[in-house]
Amino acid sequence: MGLFSKKKKAEEAEKKNKTRSDKSLEVNMKVIKAALEDCDDIVYKDFRVGAEQKLEFKLVYTDGMIDKNVINEAVLNALMVHAREIPPEAPRLIEKLFELVRYGTIPASEMKEIENLDDAILAILTGDAVLFIDGTVKIIVIGAKGWPSRSVSEPSTETLVRGPRDGFTETFRVNTALVRRRIRDPKMKLKQLQVGKRSHTDIGIMYMEDIAMESLVMEVYRRLKSIDIDAILESGYIEQLVEDNYLSPFPQARATERPDEVAANLLEGRVAILVDNSPFALVVPTTFNSLFQSPEDYYDRWFIATILRVIRFTAGTLSLLLPALYIAVTSYHPGILPLKLVLSIAASREGIPFPAILEAFLMEATFELLREAGIRLPAPIGSTIGIVGGIVIGQAAVEAGIVSPIMVIIVAITAISSFSIPSYNLSVGIRMLRFILMVFAGVLGLYGIMLGFLLILCHLVKLKSFGIPYMSPFVSFTASDLKDTVVRVPTFMMKNRPSNLARNRIRMKNNRSMINQIEKGGGNDDEKQ
Amino acid sequence: MMMRNNDTISPYQLAMIIIMTVISVGVFSIASDVAEAAGTDAWIMILMAGIVNIVAAVIIVRLNARFPNKTFAEYTQELIGTIPAKLVLLLFIGYLTSVMAYELRAFTEVIKMFLLFRTPTEIIILSLLLVCTYIVRGGVECIGRINELIFPLLFIPFFLILLPGFNLLHFDNLLPLFQDIPKKLLMALPLTAYNFGGIEIALFYIGFMREPKKAYKPLILAISFITLFFAMITVLCIGAFGVNYVPELIWPLVNYVRAINLPGLFIERLDGIILSLWIMTVFTTLVTLYFVVSYSLSKVFNTREQKQYVLPLVVVIYYLSLQPDSLAQLLKWGDLLFPYATPFFLYIAPLLFLVIAILRKKGVKGDEKI
Repeated sequence: MGLFSKKKKAEEAEKKNKTRSDKSLEVNMKVIKAALEDCDDIVYKDFRVGAEQKLEFKLVYTDGMIDKNVINEAVLNALMVHAREIPPEAPRLIEKLFELVRYGTIPASEMKEIENLDDAILAILTGDAVLFIDGTVKIIVIGAKGWPSRSVSEPSTETLVRGPRDGFTETFRVNTALVRRRIRDPKMKLKQLQVGKRSHTDIGIMYMEDIAMESLVMEVYRRLKSIDIDAILESGYIEQLVEDNYLSPFPQARATERPDEVAANLLEGRVAILVDNSPFALVVPTTFNSLFQSPEDYYDRWFIATILRVIRFTAGTLSLLLPALYIAVTSYHPGILPLKLVLSIAASREGIPFPAILEAFLMEATFELLREAGIRLPAPIGSTIGIVGGIVIGQAAVEAGIVSPIMVIIVAITAISSFSIPSYNLSVGIRMLRFILMVFAGVLGLYGIMLGFLLILCHLVKLKSFGIPYMSPFVSFTASDLKDTVVRVPTFMMKNRPSNLARNRIRMKNNRSMINQIEKGGGNDDEKQ
Repeated sequence: MMMRNNDTISPYQLAMIIIMTVISVGVFSIASDVAEAAGTDAWIMILMAGIVNIVAAVIIVRLNARFPNKTFAEYTQELIGTIPAKLVLLLFIGYLTSVMAYELRAFTEVIKMFLLFRTPTEIIILSLLLVCTYIVRGGVECIGRINELIFPLLFIPFFLILLPGFNLLHFDNLLPLFQDIPKKLLMALPLTAYNFGGIEIALFYIGFMREPKKAYKPLILAISFITLFFAMITVLCIGAFGVNYVPELIWPLVNYVRAINLPGLFIERLDGIILSLWIMTVFTTLVTLYFVVSYSLSKVFNTREQKQYVLPLVVVIYYLSLQPDSLAQLLKWGDLLFPYATPFFLYIAPLLFLVIAILRKKGVKGDEKI
């Protein structure tokens, strides 16, 4: 009865096209071995069961991707050793061999039966052990996945002062479990599909059935289904293949390493896309406002959160506009600054051979170089870049008379500001736009900056992420949505979920009256108990 | 709410569109225009004009409420036949195009006077027009959203900037009040009223709302806001400079802001800032008018999309805006056009069509209560 029940028929039709397995083990093995020829990491384990050793079994798996303990304990030990303890009743055994093995003998928790060889091959390559039994068409897939994986650790790109320390890993199942642990509600749905003709990557769509808009979930599913690509290696592939506007410098899906953030977004009616082999989950739809939010905003008290939000929005604006303003003011409108400041800027620019725009470009470009180099370099050498950069940017350039000290301050403030934006993708977009605005400022001064700014605003209001205006809630205005924007109101006041995302809008009930009652010392006796 | 077609605006967006359209180049000059006609009673005249325009707006909504989900361009064809309606529409297009050209040129002159002294007029006009085309091609929903977004970005800093000038005010300058009110009502009110030009585009934008009857409240609120804003600016300018000096100034608000001195702060003079902000008001005015023009053209030529008319219009507006040789000529031409054209499209045309609609019993009835 889920959203996806209609899709089942199509899946069944698909099944018919696959190679069906044969009764004979030999025939099956021929097909499997032909398909997996020259794949030397595949292990074929023959064994015989029964007192007369007449029942032939074959276990196939990929070396290194299975948990050998499970195989030894659940399959080999169970079939080869324990099975002997049961008195053999040969005639019955052969007839019901499959049922006996499937339901009675193998003590593994994850098992399913299939009847076609394509699925069997996929299962082998996924890391499951596949058990073939001579004389039956049914094949048993034993979930014995176990490969070396990174354990759950603190997300490196989104660190918090206050908040949980666990982050997503590269293993799909661990990631889904991390989210599920936070929302123990049957309404939290996880729809899985495999994308990528060669990689067969597991992708999960997570949503709250009674909160997320049905149309949104179906749209996400439709877009994911439409992907026809050889391999999905990271959630970045998915992000780029499902986004609305590929020309936009702004990210239209939020990539996050934090399960608590995914959970919070699910509860607001958004949809999360989890991708195997990627510690980044995608959250759609994304708005400009949500990219300035950090999970910490909800964990800290509201006025701390509000101050942080104001700082972040200011940082975003500074990072976008500051170098452009410097260019415009020094080369076109020195009049708007106080006379003394103008004189001191003019004095510091004395003897500098370049116009302000070139100076700014030089310094900003140097800084971008340093930043990129800092990421690429291995950690032990990383600090070298800091020293070299500090000396080059900070001192040598000024002493050599190439740039003015004011410009150094501007570059520093811009750099710090751009790191204050919680979303890395957004800060890269803003960085790019900063250079465009610098050109505008160099050509037309303050007027140019305003034109560029308006152009960016126009682009932002045109942009939509999965049908939601990117600038909401600032546009398509609903008063209750503004409670979680630049100002984050106290938690008990945020009673509603976002109006354009959630179907079921009531989030909580106000408990203030209860608290106030007790403070006053009065109140109802029944409630006190 | 989501995945809807790109063709509706909300009541709130309508209010924003009207506010941002009416407040444009005129903000800087309104105090001098009205002070010249009405002296110290200027702000009273503006309040009166606001009431007149609220009545006009009610007429516009009544007319539109008879034709839900239809714009002026569509229902006039029902009312007076296809060919006459298209002629009226062409008149409207001509009027709005010249308003745009006028605004653009006046804007350029201000920019050249205060911000960019040596930049060629052509560059300033063309660059702003091209930015406009980008958003107009996005359709009515984008128009609604950009107005919604710019409104707080514009007015919050705007009020903050006007605030430190309060020490310039001499309230004696505002006296005497209530002199010759009947005479001024006759002479000055018509002059004041057309400063509210721009409300007439509601004829089109209400057609994009789901329920036209919901347009009364936002429209009345929008006009009240505009009225109070204009009145405030007039009081500030007259209070600072006196009623004799203000009419001498072309843009008294700029002078007011220039007179503000903030010693010891990071920014000393605010005129650069307020002029940059003011680019946004001109931009929104241009954009909303631009959309109406391109949309009307698509109705005249019976095409489904308005997009294809946007870029060709650049050439027309650009050409028109370069026609006046100087600011003086521009203002003279403006004085020839607006006192006649604006009242016609703002007051006479909606009333006329409403009467026709009632007489010919066209459209939906039952919209009698406000």
